[in-house]
Amino acid sequence: MLEEIRDEGAATGERYVLNMGPQHPSMHGVLRLRLELIGEEIQEAEAVIGYAHRAHEKMAENRTWPMFLPNTSRVDYLSGMIYNLAYCQAVEKMLEIEVPERAEYIRIIAGELNRISSHLLWLGTYVMDIGGLTPFLYAWDDREQVLNILERITGSRLTYSYGRFGGLTMDVDDVFIKQTQVFLERMKGRLVEYDKLVRQNVIFIKRSEGVGIIDAETCRRYGVTGPNLRAAGVAYDVRKDEPYGIYDRFDFEVPTLTTADSLARYDIRIREIEESLKIVGQALRDLPEGPIMPDKPKKKFKPAAGETYFAVEAARGHFGMYLVSDGSETPFKIKLRTPSFSNLAAMPEVLRKTMVADIIAIVGSIDIVLPEIDR
Amino acid sequence: MSGTAPGLDGLLLTSAAEDHGKSGFHHRHTCAPESLLAIARAFDAAGYFLEMMTAEDRRADLDKMRLVYTWNRFGPVDRHLLQCDLEVGASAPSVVAATAAADWMEREVYDMYGVTFDGHPDLKRILLPDDSDFHALLKDFGRMEDAEGASGNGHGEDA
Amino acid sequence: MPETVTQMVDSPALAILIGIAGVMGALTFNALFLVWLERKASAWIQRRMGPTEVGPFGVLQTIADMLKLLSKQLITPKHIDKPLYHIAPVLVFVPVVAATSLFPFDEHIALSNLDIGLVLVFAFGGLGIVGIFMAGWGSNNKYALLGAMRSVAQNISYEIPLILSALSVVLMVNTMGGPETNGMNLAQVAQMQHDKGYWFVLVQPVAALIYFIAALAETNRAPFDIPEAESELIAGFHTEYSGMRFALFFFAEYANMFIVAMVATVLFFGGWSGPVLPGPAWFFIKTYGIVFAMMWIRWTFPRLRFDQLMSFCWMILIPLSILNLLVTAFIARAV
Repeated sequence: MLEEIRDEGAATGERYVLNMGPQHPSMHGVLRLRLELIGEEIQEAEAVIGYAHRAHEKMAENRTWPMFLPNTSRVDYLSGMIYNLAYCQAVEKMLEIEVPERAEYIRIIAGELNRISSHLLWLGTYVMDIGGLTPFLYAWDDREQVLNILERITGSRLTYSYGRFGGLTMDVDDVFIKQTQVFLERMKGRLVEYDKLVRQNVIFIKRSEGVGIIDAETCRRYGVTGPNLRAAGVAYDVRKDEPYGIYDRFDFEVPTLTTADSLARYDIRIREIEESLKIVGQALRDLPEGPIMPDKPKKKFKPAAGETYFAVEAARGHFGMYLVSDGSETPFKIKLRTPSFSNLAAMPEVLRKTMVADIIAIVGSIDIVLPEIDR
Repeated sequence: MSGTAPGLDGLLLTSAAEDHGKSGFHHRHTCAPESLLAIARAFDAAGYFLEMMTAEDRRADLDKMRLVYTWNRFGPVDRHLLQCDLEVGASAPSVVAATAAADWMEREVYDMYGVTFDGHPDLKRILLPDDSDFHALLKDFGRMEDAEGASGNGHGEDA
Repeated sequence: MPETVTQMVDSPALAILIGIAGVMGALTFNALFLVWLERKASAWIQRRMGPTEVGPFGVLQTIADMLKLLSKQLITPKHIDKPLYHIAPVLVFVPVVAATSLFPFDEHIALSNLDIGLVLVFAFGGLGIVGIFMAGWGSNNKYALLGAMRSVAQNISYEIPLILSALSVVLMVNTMGGPETNGMNLAQVAQMQHDKGYWFVLVQPVAALIYFIAALAETNRAPFDIPEAESELIAGFHTEYSGMRFALFFFAEYANMFIVAMVATVLFFGGWSGPVLPGPAWFFIKTYGIVFAMMWIRWTFPRLRFDQLMSFCWMILIPLSILNLLVTAFIARAV
């Protein structure tokens, strides 16, 4: 901690360095913030990352294309389904594989359920970060329902490996449909409850309103995407702007707000949960019968040499995969463009001249998942 | 934030339209390292954002390090793939001056590939430990086949 | 008037021993009970079970925890300011014990019956801050220091509305009771509510509300638990304390809740006064009712930010409590 301290405050001893994390109760995994403070006001903030680096991109270059499947959901364990399916869809695009209708619909349902669970977890942890301990367990309870539903069809609760090139591992049954419908019904009432318990609370509003403003221009300069960007008034959602799978068949909205503060980010996520519920409802209604895998699934293949880019809207924003094949069974390179990496990159600028207590609210509100940043 | 088409005239070596439905890109460009910053400024001025930046270790086939940038905008989507081949061991101009997003991305490329960027405000490792003596995504580091026997670097997976 | 222990027992030394044993016993029991109650209440609010394994409804869980804390190694960090670090837990704990001995639990039972009881309670309450600051300073930890600084600023600020709101009651009691009553004497305040047949919360609702809010802040309870805001400062001023040293802070925190609730009981809710049940029963029912309300709030509300907390005190609570005092004085003069 005796690092060199810059600026005028150092001379009087006013300015000091505070290390927050990597082991800190609210640093969401293993983020470390190196803060230079005067009193409780932040002068400089530096995010130190890499504590959860597991070299997924290196692993990709050391195994065949299908062998990388289980890695994908471990990149972001809170929206693992979306990542897993994204990889399948990227490879399908590269190889031009047709996916059966039923599998497409189930992918939508599973992906949106996963998004809801991710947003619920964020809701709980964000309110906990600013001191409200109880909503966390309520959100956890709801999330548990999603995990139970997904566990039944995929066999895992967090790091799903549900997708296959061309389809899915397992089909869904009537019980799944029933369970999902019950969940949709349940969430309607629960969202009202969150509104009363959290959103209308004066202290909650005071802690979130006007805090951590990330305006549209800052978002663009740093490549911030997802709910954080939509809270700044930009209606950019990969599901709408660059539709993948069968998202263009569904009727849903991309909510936006313009205040760009923590409160707006909360509202956006709640409205996204509503939109996701809508999509799941429509997908359940239209779910066709049929196979969930192509007749002749590709098990061993050598994609033609070249580059492919595939983007999806993950729970935290634009998740892109840059696949490079050299014509062999092994990827030449897989680059994972994760949304949190760019979202966090904007933090040093946003945190400047805020209070220590606001750091928690701001870093909490942008919803980062460290393993996704560190990969 | 719909940007106008960036003014890239005279900055590119090659440029071609791509089938977005097939490859995911709308345009594919290549450029010389010297024009990287000017291109970044042109994209930035046109309202694009630096979506992704990475590198490829092309020493085996081209004897080059390849820098890869994708520029995009917040709808209507218009993804430009920009490839820039670099002599091995040469450093590239940093584009941080044009877009803040490049700060961490260039650090990651430096961390993983050892490519240095001139004009980067604080070029240091980002994901690997500060005292690492390797660049993890180079093709001659940590291959599975090296792990068998005593290949020496000790970072391969156990056989 | 209640008889004090000193009056009941011949020997003063014996009286002191009985007093200390009584207070310590009551405080220990109180802390154990409150920790259990907090766990059960939070579990109930959060749809959990809470402790269930040790004893019926987990009532013995806190005893097991206390034994664990007693038997734990005391970890002392390096580079601390040794005297401050070691004295701090004691200095936080002792005033709490002293303050507890001032309350009339019944018409007839009190450990001491002092004419300046109320002043002493607040004075002892103020003393605890010194211990907290010593803990934060002595720990050589930035989080502890930040927590301690916040704590000092918060406690000093909130003592003003706390005392001003209590003063409104004192003023009222003095006016209503004539020249020989003393509103600073806790027993007399309770006695007067008993005689009048109503609680002062009815005539001083604003003072009661201000007192309750300021008391939450004084005891560092949510939504004012900023000095030990765990999501920001880990554990604030007691980050570096472990084992029994930590237990003393913990103990003092719950005892403090108990004390401010007792003051509220005496000032606003008639103390031991109530029908059918004996005095001490009423006294504790009311006290624990107030404590429960404090817990309820903790598990419902998020936490204020530090600057919001301070501006709330200086911009709203203090002017309001001064106004309330002036209105009380005016009415007392007129009636």
